[in-house]
Amino acid sequence: MTKIMTVDVLSSIKGAKESEAVSKLFDVIKSTNATTANTVSRNAVSLNNLREDVVVHSPQAEKDIIIENFPREKNGYLVVAKVIEE
Amino acid sequence: MSNIRKIHDQLQNKEISCLELIKNKLDLLKSNTHHTVNSLLDETALALAKKVDAKIANGEKIGLLEGIPFGVKDVYMLQGTYTTASSDLLKQYKSSYTATAIQKLLDAGAIPLVKENGDSFGHGSSSENTIFGAVKNAVNPDLVSGGSSGGSAVNVAKEYTVFSIGGDTGGSIRQPAGYNNVYGLKPTYGRISRFGILAYASSTDCVGPIAKSIEDVRIVLNVMSGKDVKDQTTYASKEILEDTILNTDEIKTVGYFKNFIENDAIDAKVKADFLASIEKIKAKGITVKELDFFESDTLVSTYYTLAMAETASNLSRLDGTNYGARIEGDNLKDTYSITRSENFSEETKRRIVGGNQVLSQGFSDEIYLKGLNLRDQISENFEKDFKEVDIILSPVTPNNPPKIGDSLKDPLAMYLSDAYTVGFSLGQLPTLTVPQGTATGLQITAAKNNDELVLKFANFLKDTL
Repeated sequence: MTKIMTVDVLSSIKGAKESEAVSKLFDVIKSTNATTANTVSRNAVSLNNLREDVVVHSPQAEKDIIIENFPREKNGYLVVAKVIEE
Repeated sequence: MSNIRKIHDQLQNKEISCLELIKNKLDLLKSNTHHTVNSLLDETALALAKKVDAKIANGEKIGLLEGIPFGVKDVYMLQGTYTTASSDLLKQYKSSYTATAIQKLLDAGAIPLVKENGDSFGHGSSSENTIFGAVKNAVNPDLVSGGSSGGSAVNVAKEYTVFSIGGDTGGSIRQPAGYNNVYGLKPTYGRISRFGILAYASSTDCVGPIAKSIEDVRIVLNVMSGKDVKDQTTYASKEILEDTILNTDEIKTVGYFKNFIENDAIDAKVKADFLASIEKIKAKGITVKELDFFESDTLVSTYYTLAMAETASNLSRLDGTNYGARIEGDNLKDTYSITRSENFSEETKRRIVGGNQVLSQGFSDEIYLKGLNLRDQISENFEKDFKEVDIILSPVTPNNPPKIGDSLKDPLAMYLSDAYTVGFSLGQLPTLTVPQGTATGLQITAAKNNDELVLKFANFLKDTL
């Protein structure tokens, strides 16, 4: 069974609704004679030009700020919401 | 005259001290009423200035950018500084690392003074969509500064910074540069690394300088350019030499889009001034060709469709889990949605929702894939044009800057005001705003990777208009 996902769910924004101004932009696209054929990705990276597949450790200063940015801490643990299986 | 060279000489000749220079600029930024500042980097700036002074006192030569104060749009990572994207969500977020482009400027000795105000996450064309107050135009404070890099353009125009680093996705450097009468360059996509910029629409996001002279744009562009393993869309580019861009002989043919000029949306004075500029260019012996291009509403719709799709994807990571202003809900999903609902602005939410619409099943074929196809057609059109002309010239905006408050009332009108800038973004072309020709300037565009030619033509216009 296909579950319908509304834009508020897709966007994780409560009460989100489609915008009239944005819909007008989409109407312009729909009315063009453009095709829906697959387009060539203009920003593809050559396989010969990939960065090295090695682990690079961040400096301690970077790690400290990442932890400082964490929204909630309790008794030295970083707190996240409980994940509920649906 | 290059402000960078002038200040460099003054520092090296001990006519001014770096500390004095930095203190003066910080005071100007602190007391300014244009809302350009999100945070000041005074402590680090003063410490760096002392180091430059010590070096000079020691009889050492300093580099061209050493001690030069600059501004950074508040979407760039600069380790240890707040990087808010002018949003509630990231109001307390600190950069843990530094963007490649900014690091290159730090390595050259330039001193960052300020994280600059602009539209939240780059979402806007007026710098009113911000939690730090609408940025006021440098020339007339009743008008908008333009956006999204409004704070950066105003800081340069008022000389609070010598240059500033903006970000341009659909015109966000060029349009505020035009509204505040300064130079603003969107380089060829990939010339400067995007690593460390808060992503808006990754396929058109560009890092670029805003400055008061062509020479300053050239100096800063050269320093920031280059291949970066952390952004695999970057490419290696050659340094642009000062002498090369002073020789403007090779430009023989200039084109302009007929439909940009011959329509009802353009202000009569902007149109007349643009056509007068074309006549002056012709008088110098350059051939001018009228070119056909896509209608403004097609350009704007294509750009916004793709940009919204990309921003919906890029901003999906902002859910308050690892960073940002988390608001706890009853469960994980509730926490995500309350955090995002309360902390994103109306404009950002409008773009995220629009993006998710076009990417969802049933819409993606009809809108998103068609948008991608239109983008290819636009790029092909540019390729064809640049076989016929060396440069494409266009106004930056169809109209003068609106009054503060007017843009927020009508989002569609705001989107349509980007009609002249978004096409060049979709083409990933190098485009420079020069503060000449019309009240909001002119845009000079060349073929991909030909940023040098853009600067050359800017020098030609400086002497011609």
